[in-house]
Amino acid sequence: MDTAGSEIILSIKEVTKTFPGVRALNGVSIDFRRGMVHGVVGENGAGKSTLMKILSGVYKKDTGTIVFDGKTIEHTTPYESMQSGLAIIYQELNLVNTMSVGENIFLGRFKEMKGMRGTHAKARELLDSIGCKVSTTKLVSELSVSTKQMVEISKALSFQSKLIIMDEPSTSLTSEEMALLVKIIHQLKAQGISIIYISHKLEEIFDFCDIVTVMRDGNVIDTKPKQDFTRDELITKMVGRTIENEYPERSRNLGETLMEVKNLNTRKLHDIRFNLKKGEILGLVGLVGAGRTEIVRALFGADRVHGHSISINGKPVNIRNPKNAKDAGLGFIPEDRKLQGLVLPFSVEHNISMASIERFTRFGFLRKSSEKGIGAKQVQSLRIKTPNVKVAIKNLSGGNQQKCIVGRWLEIGPSIFIMDEPTKGIDVGAKYEIYLLMKQIAEKGGAVILISSELPEVLNMSNRVLTIYDGRITGEFEPEHVPVDTIMRAALGLAGGAL
Amino acid sequence: MRALGSILKDYLVLVMILGLALITAVIQPKFISPANLVNIMRQFGPLILVSLGMTFVIIGGFIDLSVAGTINLVAVVTISLIDPLGQAGALATGLFLGSVCGAMNAVLILTGGATTQAEALFITFGMSTVYSSFALIYSGGSTRHFWDLTTSHSVFDSIGAGDVGPLSVSFIIFLVALAILWIFHTRTAAGRAISLTGGNKTAARLAGVPVDRSIVLIYTIGGFMAALGAIVLFSRITTAAPVIGFGFETNAILAVVVGGTTLKGGKGSVLRTVMGVLLVIMLNNCLNLLGVSSYMQWAARGLILVFAIWLDNRKEVQGNQL
Repeated sequence: MDTAGSEIILSIKEVTKTFPGVRALNGVSIDFRRGMVHGVVGENGAGKSTLMKILSGVYKKDTGTIVFDGKTIEHTTPYESMQSGLAIIYQELNLVNTMSVGENIFLGRFKEMKGMRGTHAKARELLDSIGCKVSTTKLVSELSVSTKQMVEISKALSFQSKLIIMDEPSTSLTSEEMALLVKIIHQLKAQGISIIYISHKLEEIFDFCDIVTVMRDGNVIDTKPKQDFTRDELITKMVGRTIENEYPERSRNLGETLMEVKNLNTRKLHDIRFNLKKGEILGLVGLVGAGRTEIVRALFGADRVHGHSISINGKPVNIRNPKNAKDAGLGFIPEDRKLQGLVLPFSVEHNISMASIERFTRFGFLRKSSEKGIGAKQVQSLRIKTPNVKVAIKNLSGGNQQKCIVGRWLEIGPSIFIMDEPTKGIDVGAKYEIYLLMKQIAEKGGAVILISSELPEVLNMSNRVLTIYDGRITGEFEPEHVPVDTIMRAALGLAGGAL
Repeated sequence: MRALGSILKDYLVLVMILGLALITAVIQPKFISPANLVNIMRQFGPLILVSLGMTFVIIGGFIDLSVAGTINLVAVVTISLIDPLGQAGALATGLFLGSVCGAMNAVLILTGGATTQAEALFITFGMSTVYSSFALIYSGGSTRHFWDLTTSHSVFDSIGAGDVGPLSVSFIIFLVALAILWIFHTRTAAGRAISLTGGNKTAARLAGVPVDRSIVLIYTIGGFMAALGAIVLFSRITTAAPVIGFGFETNAILAVVVGGTTLKGGKGSVLRTVMGVLLVIMLNNCLNLLGVSSYMQWAARGLILVFAIWLDNRKEVQGNQL
């Protein structure tokens, strides 16, 4: 493809941005071309999001120039930048849940649309143009993530956007929804709209991006057409070092039974029973909402259960709340890092130490020096990138935040480590480190229960997987020896597995 | 420049206190007279005690509107028990009653599954009216005075008006309470659990932090400190009316927030609350001395609360920019 021939729609030159203590962007220059899908990849903390927020007017740049569609942009508000034809679709989406689809698309512009009738009619046209069938009067809160994205795209189109930035759009999409998104992206491209596509997922980059920019530590490392990159080269440039494999070797020294779960029943789960061996990584596979998360939350005492019997090392344990679970030797990385894992206003140190408070408490009093030691130890051993342990954890990148949560549990050395989407939104390098940690836990005689929406991850890490469908276990497989589609069929509830 | 700016922002309240004191002292020299300073110190007593308790509730991510009702109930019950139980018995029962009122809020919040500050707001508002009506029923709506008592009320007299050296007894009670609560908050595991609960309840619970226990604890502390405030208050005015606690909940919340403890929970300090209370009381005192009408003073207080919350949110926005 002739990528050089097309005209430049957005030109960024020598843009820098410094936050207190961190240089987020270091003289970044990129040219984006009209009608191209331009992938921007990089680890968390590479500066992608900062750059996009400068483009959309959320942040002010320190120095540098930005020229969009022939006009120099100095400082704009998000609304101004939308009106100038530059739209951004955030990962967490920006819609008003309590309003209808049509109202969201034309929020604040009902008058220009000649009232609600005009609004809904125009919204219908936009939605149809991208092949979305949802009713314009439906409330946004009732929509799936995928449909919400369509609404966002329609909203961007309503501003006659020339450039649409998509920030990690695929994070919570199923593969069918993803296929639909790809179709829309191609369609937008055909209309001459440029797309900046930010992603961690290399498959997507190679699937439909035309040009790829790699960022690392606030710098642009390389920009060139996709076909000039090899997969390994891209990974190497992202992480700054060579990664031999995406997954470590499976550990293979399975021991005796560590945990036995029987008759686990909740409102959503039906007669869940399984066991877990020492040294094992057990994957739970299923669609979002199938009951994977419910199983581990019930195990950890986070949700109310109708009944269950759990024994660890042959002894029955009674887990009624997370504190009991912790005391029984369980650790838990929850699904939603920000809402369920981190105490955002608190320091790295306090976030790491919160599960092991008992360890540095004597007669009810905290021993601060021991606590400091715990923080420093985990920061060092997990190679958490932070200026010091007193920094608020919200200032760390996603991968480093996740490592803090891992460190929180490693400090008490759980024998059973439950990880629900441990690598969600984390870059390649940090992912690999978390995989290694899982393996280490297993090799030391512990066990890991792994949930992940990324099928290759579960299949490559687990010794054994259970497929979950509609609150029931539908199959049990050794992913090493069973073809993927057999496992997927069981996860989709289509056929029973070797139970 | 940036450092100076952030110091100014962090200690804006202190700067405001000093500024206000300076202006008043220039315009009205009476402000720095010993009599007025003693007056400020005495007023300080009840409100600071209630506010210290409120600080824990707010750090824990909740709010307590019931303190007014608790003060009403504790005041009338305690004064009525001096004759039958003696002074020590009355004092202990009063403090215990306040703690029970506080714990009751927590139990209702936990069993009701109220997880947000807004829900706690309404529950404690409801309980405030319940405690207040208990106070009215118990006292038959009448006010009790020290001079009606038949036995000695010397302990209460000294709480209300006694001095030890240059300090009033109520001020010493405040210093002791402050020291204990400060150490409790910053140095104990239970104090840390409260902060974590306020910072993110869900995350704290999933890390095995005793969240429910923390909630019971913050409200019990809130109730206990309200009772202590009630006792200091009626001892000072030698009278316990069943409506004595009117307005304390709003003033306490005002003091805590003006002091810089965030209403979002998690972050805050009892030391900040001391500054907040100082500002609220000095504001009253200064405006009185300057001859500003009491209606105008209400407006000033409201505006300062709004300003403090605005400031708090601005800090949040800037903190999130990274």
